Amino acid sequence: MHDLTQEHLAQAIGVNRQTILAIEKEKYIPSLDLAFKISRYFGVNIEEVFISDEKTPTITDT
Amino acid sequence: MTPSGRSFSMKKNTFYLIIGCIALTLLFIFWYSVELHTALLIEIAFIVGIALVYLAKTKVTDIINDERDVKITEQATIRTMQVFWVVFCAFSIGAVMEILHVPEIPREPPSIRPPVLLPPRMMGYIQLALLCLMIFLYVGFRIYYAKKFGDFETDEE
Repeated sequence: MHDLTQEHLAQAIGVNRQTILAIEKEKYIPSLDLAFKISRYFGVNIEEVFISDEKTPTITDT
Repeated sequence: MTPSGRSFSMKKNTFYLIIGCIALTLLFIFWYSVELHTALLIEIAFIVGIALVYLAKTKVTDIINDERDVKITEQATIRTMQVFWVVFCAFSIGAVMEILHVPEIPREPPSIRPPVLLPPRMMGYIQLALLCLMIFLYVGFRIYYAKKFGDFETDEE
């Protein structure tokens, strides 16, 4: 959908590329602050990027 | 910022080079300190060396320490301290018993001999072992948590 690389997104929100990869792979649950940064970057609401299955919030495909 | 508006900054490769230089210098000072039989020299040098490393780290521009890195460091540190304080306290309790000269089993008749203290050389070896244990524990836990929080994940594409 987006012509966007992990590196570009990581630079834009001030984290390492590996952190973006870890979130995608559901290895790391981002803080609320970082989750808001990611959703703001895509210009959508936070629940459109992340879903919570009551146990672990996971990132959805955007 | 300096008056000219430019601040000193460096790339991470320069930072690693500085760390290498500091480590080599400390090694030389350690050797010199042993030659002179002066522990104070290496102690002061170690504190100054670590302070320089922290100072240099603040000037690096291309190392991003994000919240995941902080979490990995935090978890590794907590686990290391949890194991370390148990080992350290176990050793310390033993040392305190030596100082108080707690009677052994079977109970000996009241003794007037002075408490047996560990010789300083032995204390040094034990401290060295504890230091090594702490380093190995920290590295081990850091690798574990880095793996747990996706440090070794790769793209499938």
